[in-house]
Amino acid sequence: MIDPFDSIAGYVQLHVLVPLLWHLDLMRWEDLAYGWALFAVYGAAQVALMFALCVPLERLFPVERWPDQRVVLTDIFYTVVQRVGVLPLVTFVGFYEVQARLNGFLTDHGYVPPTLERFLPFLMGWPVATFLLYAIILDFADYWRHRISHRIGWWWALHSLHHAQRQMTFWSDDRNHVLDDLIGALWFGAIALLIGVSPMQFPLLVLFLRLLESLSHANARIDFGPVLGRVLVSPRFHRAHHGVGAYGARSCNFGAVFPWWDMLFGTADFSRDYVPTGDPSGDEALASGSYLAQQMAGLRRLLGRGKQPAAVQ
Amino acid sequence: MRWVWRGLLGVAILLPAAALARPLAFVLNSDDASISIIDMATRREIRREPVLRQPHHITLSPDGKLVLAGDTVGNQILYLDPETGRILRRQTISDPYQLMFSPDGRVLTVTGLARNQVDIYAFTDATGLTLLHRVPARSMPSHIAYAPDSSVVYVSLQGSNRLMAISVRSGAVLWDVPVGETPAGVLWDHDHVLVGLMGEDGIAVVDPTDGHVLRMVRTGRGAHNLFFSPDGRLIYVTNRVAGTITVLDRASLTVLRDYRVPGGPDDIEFAPDGTLWVTQRFDHGVLFLDPRTGTYSRINVGRSPHGIFLNTDRHTHRTEEP
Ligand SMILES: [Zn+2]
Ligand SMILES: [Zn+2]
Repeated sequence: MIDPFDSIAGYVQLHVLVPLLWHLDLMRWEDLAYGWALFAVYGAAQVALMFALCVPLERLFPVERWPDQRVVLTDIFYTVVQRVGVLPLVTFVGFYEVQARLNGFLTDHGYVPPTLERFLPFLMGWPVATFLLYAIILDFADYWRHRISHRIGWWWALHSLHHAQRQMTFWSDDRNHVLDDLIGALWFGAIALLIGVSPMQFPLLVLFLRLLESLSHANARIDFGPVLGRVLVSPRFHRAHHGVGAYGARSCNFGAVFPWWDMLFGTADFSRDYVPTGDPSGDEALASGSYLAQQMAGLRRLLGRGKQPAAVQ
Repeated sequence: MRWVWRGLLGVAILLPAAALARPLAFVLNSDDASISIIDMATRREIRREPVLRQPHHITLSPDGKLVLAGDTVGNQILYLDPETGRILRRQTISDPYQLMFSPDGRVLTVTGLARNQVDIYAFTDATGLTLLHRVPARSMPSHIAYAPDSSVVYVSLQGSNRLMAISVRSGAVLWDVPVGETPAGVLWDHDHVLVGLMGEDGIAVVDPTDGHVLRMVRTGRGAHNLFFSPDGRLIYVTNRVAGTITVLDRASLTVLRDYRVPGGPDDIEFAPDGTLWVTQRFDHGVLFLDPRTGTYSRINVGRSPHGIFLNTDRHTHRTEEP
């Protein structure tokens, strides 16, 4: 059985991308284009699905009500750019030769990135289990990336863009500074050198995980309860991370999918109720500026020109 | 506990049937981390053999006892039993994209597409692959062909519009020259090297002594890979953008006919009944083309099927002169 998303991606590849690449003398990227078509089709499905799920939830159980929601438009832009893979694509092409050289260098020095199956041979032939194990390990790595980004001044200057939104909705998951996204890509690239990359043939599982991350930003009174809430990150849990009093180093609940790492390393706070969000220590442009204004404000803060974070210890 | 006995009985009935080897076809689903094992007689997919991450190309060992498949992102070469399709063993090799044995069967060339290197290995059944030469290349080394005497290997550099010639014995680069936009498939033919040009609408005829392009033969937009017919009289060219397969007369390189083939045709193998088995890269399928009528049927396989291998007795080497 072929799922319909695959068929759409194949159609887009054959009838739009391949002819376009041929005309632009870019046929060397043909294989990449197909990967991107799959990514974009599943990304569009993610957006459609989270829209269908989160809009009713935000209507039924809102935490906050805003008369004017124009600032949410910027978050929608972030989401679309990210989920249909514009930034990942540009990053991949831009760094392709650097990556190829690094691969060649490592091969020359006898280093071949392993896979989890090499450490744990019983995983061989069990790709779904392997995928889930990668998801857990990568979520753990992301916990530390996120936690450190709150502690280091210049990194927080970039990440504070994510926290600046006072009208936090399910669209807010992807609002990040491009340099912060780039650091994230390098972080996971480095981990890939150590444990390889996850099996990639389960876009539906990726879709589910991404859906959960969007939901965790939703403007909705949703708590997963004492049991499930300790298994998966709920909107209530992540809202505490975005609380006005919780910016910078003072924050809690850094986990993206699993709250386990916060529980394990003492940064979990299940008690904070539905708090207002935002980062009062930053420039107003970070919160309500246009896409470009936000990116520039983040850059200014990074270079020490904007309002400086008072929170970093 | 009746089910135990029924189960055992079932196994006892099925085992002898499985032991009766039927000719199998192997299709590498590059974006599905699997190899489709197909019964050639019924053209039905029997099962999918899981691999690590991204299998692309497959080739038979010179003694015909093993099939080698490269898993690029998994950094592995898999050794499979050509009769059963089972994975017998694995060897860690960085990014094995294309892989092809020399006509004399002494070396295997592997291109590292994502690491800009070409590896030349010695191969024995007992030890597997042993690196002889690792040659740095320009961007995206992809397809491979040998001179008939196995002295030189030709590699297309997809990302830098070039073709390079490497001495098999010394690993020295003999030449490395531009041949046209996005070169892909390479084939030695009558003292020439033919190169499919994906960024153009045909193939380049290249002088093997210095790599300069003697002339172009128009086949169709996005000319990708080239294959000799089993009788050695024809050359089939897959044209990815045009969605066609062009038939060339081998002696004159004139176009005899075109077949319309949907789904992004990639690699071709020839079944004993004369059918062309074609992987449809962007339509998760294998297409069976009857060259007499131009009609075809197809079956579904995994996502982005790339390399294909049919375990037939008359399997001939691509670069062999008929
Ligand atoms: Zn944060
Ligand atoms: Zn967040």
